[in-house]
Amino acid sequence: MSVALDTVVTMIEFRQVTKRFPDGTVAVRELSLQIPPRQVTVFVGSSGSGKTTILRMINRMLDPSSGSILIDGTDISTRDPVALRRSIGYVMQDGGLLPHRTVVDNIATVPVLSGVPRRQARERARALMRTVGLDESLERRYPAQLSGGQQQRVGVARGLAAEPEILLMDEPFGAVDPVVRGELQRELLRLQSELAKTVVFVTHDIDEAFLLGAQVVLFRPGGVIAQRGTPQELLQAPADDFVAEFIDAGRPRSILR
Amino acid sequence: MSWVLGNWPQIWQYGIAHVLLSFPPVIAGFLISLPLGWLAARHRVTRGALLAAGGVLYAIPSLPLFVLLPSIIGTKILDPLNVEVALTIYAVALLLRTTADAFAAVDPGVRLSATAVGFGPWRRFLTVELPLAGPVLLAGVRVVSVSTVSLVSVGSVIGVNSLGFFFLDGYQRSFPTEVWVGIVGTVLIALVFDALLVLAGRLLMPWHARLRRARRRSRVPAGQQPALAEVLR
Repeated sequence: MSVALDTVVTMIEFRQVTKRFPDGTVAVRELSLQIPPRQVTVFVGSSGSGKTTILRMINRMLDPSSGSILIDGTDISTRDPVALRRSIGYVMQDGGLLPHRTVVDNIATVPVLSGVPRRQARERARALMRTVGLDESLERRYPAQLSGGQQQRVGVARGLAAEPEILLMDEPFGAVDPVVRGELQRELLRLQSELAKTVVFVTHDIDEAFLLGAQVVLFRPGGVIAQRGTPQELLQAPADDFVAEFIDAGRPRSILR
Repeated sequence: MSWVLGNWPQIWQYGIAHVLLSFPPVIAGFLISLPLGWLAARHRVTRGALLAAGGVLYAIPSLPLFVLLPSIIGTKILDPLNVEVALTIYAVALLLRTTADAFAAVDPGVRLSATAVGFGPWRRFLTVELPLAGPVLLAGVRVVSVSTVSLVSVGSVIGVNSLGFFFLDGYQRSFPTEVWVGIVGTVLIALVFDALLVLAGRLLMPWHARLRRARRRSRVPAGQQPALAEVLR
C-alpha cells in the first residue's frame, strides 16, 4: 500500500482528550494522537479499551469531556454535528444499513441527505456498486435479502458515496465468517490503493490490524495508548508485556491459517 | 329482504353517516398518539405516566362520556362532535401503548447508524423511525379502526345517528331483521376499513411484505439475517 509522502499535514488530531461518561467511567484518558492523511490507521484493543468511543468522537457522535479534536486544523466542536457527519464516511458492523431501503437507496443515502437529486445519487450509487464488487442485479434488493458479506460491501459503498476525505470503520468485518472477512480485507486494501482516503479502522483482531494498518494504535483498557507504530515496529519491538501478550494471543491462529 | 329494499335510502344514508363519523377519530387518534408514543418510547418516566393515563382514559364507559362531553367542551348535546371527541380519546388511549412499543422496537443499531451518517433528528424520525415502526403502528391502527366503527353505533343512543340506529329501533320494535341490518352493515364497514388499511400498508411499506415472506419461507428468526440470506440465495 502506498504511504502518502506529505505526512507532515495531520488530518485528524486529538489533543489531551478525555471522555468521562455520566455513570463515572472514564473511557478515554488524556489522549493525544495524530492520524496522518491518506492512509489506514487501525485502533486495536480488547473491549473496554475505548477504541470505539475514540472513533465516535471524530464525527461528534460523542463529544469529549475535555480536550479538543481537530480536523485539518479546525476544532470540530465549532462545526455543526449533522453536517460534519455527512462529510465523513461511516461503516459499522452489520453494515448499519436501513432495512426499509433498497441497496441502491442505502448507498445513495448521504448524497440525498445533502441535497443531491435522487436520480443522480442513484446513478452514482450504481457506479459504486461496481467499485465495491457488487453485482448490479442486487440494486433492488433489501439488506435482509443479502449475505453478510454483501451487506458489508453495501456499507462500504455507502461510506464512500459522498466522496469523503475521512472514512471511519467500526469493526466493519466483525460479523462475517473468516473466509468472507479475508475477501473484504483484500478488497479494502485494493480500494484504498486507488482512493487513498484517511481511514480510521477499529478492530479487536490484531491480525486484521497488522494486515490493514499503515499505522497501528494499540490501546489498553481505559483508552490509554499502549503502543503506536507500523506493524513491523509493534512486531519487532513491543513496548511492554501487555503489547507482547496482545500480539501473541493472535499468533497461533495465524500459524494455522 | 323486502324491508331492506324498502328502506334502502335510509340504510344508505345512515351507512354513509357511520363511515363519516368513524374515520376522523381514527386519524386524529393516530396523529395525536404518534408524538406521545415517541415520547413514551424515549423516556422511562414519560412512558409510565402516559401509559397509566391511557389506561384510565380507556376505562371510562362510552355512554357517560358521550353525555358528559358537552358540559366539558361546550358543545351542543346533539353535536356529532361529542362522539368524534369521545372516540378520539379512546383511539389515543388504545394506540398509546402500541405507538410506544412500536418506536421502542426500532433497532437501536439502525438509529445509531442513521445518526452516524448524518440524519438530523427530524429527518431521522420521519424517514427512519416512523417507517420502521410502521408495521406495528399499522397493527394498532387496525384494532382502533374496528373498535371505532363499532363504538360509533353507541352514539345513536344520544341521537347522533349511524347504523346504530337500526339496533335501537329494531330492538324497541322487536324486529330482528332491522337489528341484523345494523350488525351486518357495521361489520361490512369495519371490514372495508381494515382492507383499506392493509392496502395502504402494502403501498407504503413494500419492503415489509417482502421481508415477511422471506422470513416465513426460511423459518429463520428475524434476528439472524445473514443466515437467512444464505438460505435465499
